[in-house]
Amino acid sequence: MIAIAKGRFLEPSLNLLRSAGIDFQENLAESRRLIFDSTDGRCRAILVKPMDAPTYVEYGAADMGIAGRDVILESQADLLQPLDLGFGKCKIAVAVPNRTRSDDELARTVVRVATKYPHITLEHFNAQGIAVEIIPLSGSIELAPLVGLADRIVDLVESGRTLVENGLEIVEVITESSARLIVNRASYQTKRKEIVQLVETLEGLV
Amino acid sequence: MNSLTQIPPGTQILIGAAARRRRAVERTIFSVFEGWSYEEIIPPMLDYFDVFVKGMGSELEDRIYRFIDREGNVLALRPEFTSLLAKMAATRLSGEPTPVRLSYSGEVLRFETPKGGQQREFAQMGVEHYGGAPATADVEVLLVCMEALEKLGVTDYQINLGSVDFFGGIVDSIDLPEEQIDQLKDLLSIKDQASLERMMAGLSFEKSRTDILLAIPHLTGGREVLARARQLVTNERSIGAIEHLENIYGIFEGLGLAERLTIDLGEVRGFNYYSGILFRVYVRDLGFEVASGGRYDGLPAQFGRDTPAVGFSFSLDRLEQIVDSKTFGADRHPAAGVDENSFEGAIRLRREGKRVRLC
Repeated sequence: MIAIAKGRFLEPSLNLLRSAGIDFQENLAESRRLIFDSTDGRCRAILVKPMDAPTYVEYGAADMGIAGRDVILESQADLLQPLDLGFGKCKIAVAVPNRTRSDDELARTVVRVATKYPHITLEHFNAQGIAVEIIPLSGSIELAPLVGLADRIVDLVESGRTLVENGLEIVEVITESSARLIVNRASYQTKRKEIVQLVETLEGLV
Repeated sequence: MNSLTQIPPGTQILIGAAARRRRAVERTIFSVFEGWSYEEIIPPMLDYFDVFVKGMGSELEDRIYRFIDREGNVLALRPEFTSLLAKMAATRLSGEPTPVRLSYSGEVLRFETPKGGQQREFAQMGVEHYGGAPATADVEVLLVCMEALEKLGVTDYQINLGSVDFFGGIVDSIDLPEEQIDQLKDLLSIKDQASLERMMAGLSFEKSRTDILLAIPHLTGGREVLARARQLVTNERSIGAIEHLENIYGIFEGLGLAERLTIDLGEVRGFNYYSGILFRVYVRDLGFEVASGGRYDGLPAQFGRDTPAVGFSFSLDRLEQIVDSKTFGADRHPAAGVDENSFEGAIRLRREGKRVRLC
C-alpha cells in the first residue's frame, strides 16, 4: 500500500512509479475514487492530502508513501526516509518585507511569524533564542506582513517570485526540501523483501 | 472543561471484554515467564526522579511525570520498569546467586502524544536477566519473547536485531563533536541516505570512513549482512558486536528459528542505557513495534552493583490489537450464571462452583 499525495506531487509521483513498473489503469488525477489497484495487482495506492501522507505511513495504514520533506518535518512523524526522489525541490525560508531594518526587528521583544509550519518555525527560532509568536495560516502567507499581521513569514519557496512580487526577501533558509520516499518502520521489517526491492528500483531511477 | 466527567488526555479505562482481554494476555505471558523461571517482582508506582534519569537519559527527562513530596524530594511516576528493576537487583537482591531472573507487569506513564494504541499511561510486561553470560542470556530472552508471541497466537512477526556496539565502535574512532554525532544518529535512524550523503560531503573524512557510514542504512537482512559489515570495519568493538551477532544468529539457525530474525546494524535508536544487543519486534500489519529490549550492562552499576543485564518488554496495549479476541477476552466462566433470590441459595451455588446472579 502506497500513500500518494494529491496536488503538485501527484504527476511526478505517478511518472516515477510507472517507470518502476507500477501502473494504474485509471487516471488517478481525474478519478473521484481514493483507492486504486495497480495494473499488475502487486500494489495498491491511496490518494491523500499532502499534509496527511506522513500520518498514514507512520500508523502503518500505508506501508510507504511519497511526501515533501517540509511536510515530514512539520508532522514530526517517526518514519524511515530512505530516498530523496529529486522532484519538488524548494526551500523552507524566513522572509521579511524589504523595508525592514534590523533596528525595527531588535525593537520587538517577540517576533510575530506567520506560517503553515508552526513546529518547524518554533524549533528554528527557539534554537536561536528568539521569542516568537506563531500566527498559524494555511495559505497566502505572504500577505500577513503586508497587512501588519506578522513581522516575518516562514514559508516554502520554490522560485521566489511570489516573494519578490509581494515585496518580501529571504533572510534565512531553514532547510531544503524535496519529495521523499517514506516507509513505515514495522512494514520495513515485516515486508522487507518487497520494500527493499522497490526502494532499489526507485533508487536506480532518480 | 468539566473535570468531574472528563478523563485526562492519555489515560484509558478498560471495561468488559477489553479488561478480560488484558488479563488473559497477561496470564498467558506470565505463564511463559514462569516457565522460563522468571520470578515476578511488583515494584512501586513511584521512585526518586534520579533513578529514571540514570536509565532513560536526559533526552526523555521531560516526558516523566514528576512531583515534589512533602520533604522536598523530586519523585516520579514510573516511566519504565528497567531502571526500577535494575535498582532492586543491585540493592535488595544483591545477595542472590546469579543469574537473577525477574519479570513484571504494570502501567507506566510518559508525557507524550498517544500513538499506535499506546496512551500516556500504558501497560508493559517484561523480563530482566542479570548476571548471565551475554552469549547465552541474550538468546534466552529472545526465546522467551518468541514463545510468548507464539502462545498469544501471534505468528507473523519479525525480530529486528542490532547492536549498539557496532555503531558505537565506529563513532569511537571518529573525531566528531557530540552534536554532530547526534545528527548522524538521527539520520541513520531514519535511513535518510540523501541527507547522510550531504552531511558526509561537508565533513573531511577519508573515503573509507565515509563508505562505512553510508553503508550502515543498508546493513539489514540475514547472515550475509554480518559478512558484509565485517569487510567494512576494523575496530575491535564493532568486530566484537558482529561476532556476537553471528554467534546468536548461528544458534537460531541451529534451532530452525533464524528466519524470525532480521539483522539490522543501522538500528541506533534506544534508551541511553543500552550497551550490547538491542531488538524490536514487529508484527505484520501493525504499524508500531509490540516489544523492544536489549542489553544494558552499565545500568545496575549505577545503583551499586556491576552486573551484566539484558531484558525486554511487551506493549500490552499493542499486543491486544492483534490477538484473537475469541481466545483472549472471552468470558472465562464455563456456564451461564444462575439467578437466585436467597443468600443461602447463592452460597450453596457458589460452593458448587456455579456462577450466581443475585436478584
